[in-house]
Amino acid sequence: MAQTRTATKAHGGGHGMIGASTRVRGRITGDGDLTVDGHVEGDITVRGDLIVGEGASVTSNVDAHSVTVSGTLDGDVTARGAVRIAAGAKVRGTMQGEHVAIEEGAEFAGRLDCEFELPPELMGSTSSRKRS
Amino acid sequence: MASTIIGAGITIEGEITTDEDVLVQGTVRGKLNAKDGVVVEHGGVVEADVTGGPLTVSGSVTGNISSTDRVDLQPGARVVGNVKATRITIADGAQFKGNVDMDV
Repeated sequence: MAQTRTATKAHGGGHGMIGASTRVRGRITGDGDLTVDGHVEGDITVRGDLIVGEGASVTSNVDAHSVTVSGTLDGDVTARGAVRIAAGAKVRGTMQGEHVAIEEGAEFAGRLDCEFELPPELMGSTSSRKRS
Repeated sequence: MASTIIGAGITIEGEITTDEDVLVQGTVRGKLNAKDGVVVEHGGVVEADVTGGPLTVSGSVTGNISSTDRVDLQPGARVVGNVKATRITIADGAQFKGNVDMDV
């Protein structure tokens, strides 16, 4: 049975946790962090960090501070911080973030939108390529 | 420990289906279908029909509640809706408006 307990405060809001056998169809918004180990279909907007755990499946457009994916994610991601696609993850969609890391063993299909300065020696030869 | 936690400041609009315990400190609008325990803490807001096992409310629930076990409305709880359960307690200080169906 569920026991009463207080959530740890982060980013001024509480922590959200979608357990492994939980399915959410709809929109999730929040001030704090969110960890998904279950299934979510619908958009996720959190001010804190989003963690998509191993075995989780998320079909959502995501807007969060930082995003770490170890499970399956289908949708566009907009992060103000880092996006990390861990080994074993399956991700499809456009990733936008300050830093994007794709670990070895991760599957990724989609677009990366990452703002950074190209080193000067690459500036001339890649002028035909679009920089975001 | 609850396996699914809707923390304070988190809002879910839609349908939640789960086999696990659910702890609501934030807001849920739509539907909440649990098989196990549901706790709506003080400050938690549920605007949804709720089904589940044992249900403890200290926060606010607007919607019909159907439990296979017991429903406890604790002091500070505010429930508007019908409650169907095998056992029910309404504590002193709990607000409740609706019908009770105890399946007798």
